[in-house]
Amino acid sequence: MSDIPGSDELTVARFYKILGSKLELVPVDLETGFANLVRSPDISRPGMALTGYIQHFLHERIQIFGETEITYLNSLSDSEREFALGRIFETPIYCSIVTKGLPAPSELIAYSRSSDSALFLSTRDTTPLIHDLTDLLDEVFAPRTSVYGSLVEVFGIGLLVTGKSAIGKSESVLGLLERGHRLIADDRVFISRIRGILVGRGDSRMGHLMEIRGLGLVEVSNFYGIRAVKERQQVQFEVRLEQWSQDNQEFDRTGLVQKVNNILDISIPQTVIPVLPGRNLTLLLEIAVMNHLLVRQGRNIPREIEDNLINRILDKETDQERRTDMTGGRET
Amino acid sequence: MTTKMVEVINQLGIHARPAAKIVRNASMFDSHITLTVDGDTVNAKSIMGVMTLAACRGTMIEVQADGDDEREAVAGIVQLVLDGFGED
Repeated sequence: MSDIPGSDELTVARFYKILGSKLELVPVDLETGFANLVRSPDISRPGMALTGYIQHFLHERIQIFGETEITYLNSLSDSEREFALGRIFETPIYCSIVTKGLPAPSELIAYSRSSDSALFLSTRDTTPLIHDLTDLLDEVFAPRTSVYGSLVEVFGIGLLVTGKSAIGKSESVLGLLERGHRLIADDRVFISRIRGILVGRGDSRMGHLMEIRGLGLVEVSNFYGIRAVKERQQVQFEVRLEQWSQDNQEFDRTGLVQKVNNILDISIPQTVIPVLPGRNLTLLLEIAVMNHLLVRQGRNIPREIEDNLINRILDKETDQERRTDMTGGRET
Repeated sequence: MTTKMVEVINQLGIHARPAAKIVRNASMFDSHITLTVDGDTVNAKSIMGVMTLAACRGTMIEVQADGDDEREAVAGIVQLVLDGFGED
């Protein structure tokens, strides 16, 4: 599932191509309704609507006819069944799935055909089918954005390396791959927010291509093999590379300040590393990730050092006050 | 060479955050800048050095700079200390 279409591109045909075999879908008519767009990340169980309560019928969703719906329809007389299905098809339905290997009622087939609505049969049980279906729809309909930078898995952490072009992102990322870390994307990272986490991937049509100035385009998996590449990875930590200059002293000296960057309304910790000739960026990126791992485990070394130092300073002050106390001392 | 004495006035003295402010400020100047407390002299552009002073409130610091921008450098750091580094 590396090539996930956008929500405006997911036709029934595309949906069938991606999930057809996993969901064991068999189209009743090949092509009927295949050009329809899937319009919602959610699914609908039309049971209530079939019994007559159509006020809140969610026709813009994929309709799942499970055992409840089919046994209910089969309990009706032919004319009642015709009426019940006719009523829900008064609103545009674009795709239905009958699960559990149950036969589709002939009226459902007829209405699907006449309203150009796709109809699939599946041998799978309803609930697991819905789970797999919503997994895909969650991804398709997830909010997404793209970020200029590289995404590398370093010690299991999804590290996003950002910074102006030509600052040395790609070179430092190559260094990381050389040391056994894995590339997800270079230059442009596509990020979606799926169930509260940020998932990054590259452009699947581009493979794991990198542009190295002076060398041109290189395909990373040709050099380092399959172990050096990965399709997708949670984005957990960002390092922004910044040009060092005497006027730009706005980077953290102590490690006490944890900057964050907001991507799709999710905050991820961000560290700014100034770039200077002779700095080993690969090493610095590895250290930054290890530091991040320590913080995740509850160890904040700069904080510990700072607390320690403050205690020493205050002790010193108390000592000095004791020594000068006869003169009245200073107010505390 | 420019030299000036200044007293630490903020409650917590020169802990890591004020030390970082001094270093950030000092690094914007070309001059060689030192801080001296009780005969102990450190480079004002080194955070570890400034932190080892562990200067508490009431400490007198000698700020010294040598270079083309030594006056501005000393004035800048003295002002930071006088402002209590923006702390209480």
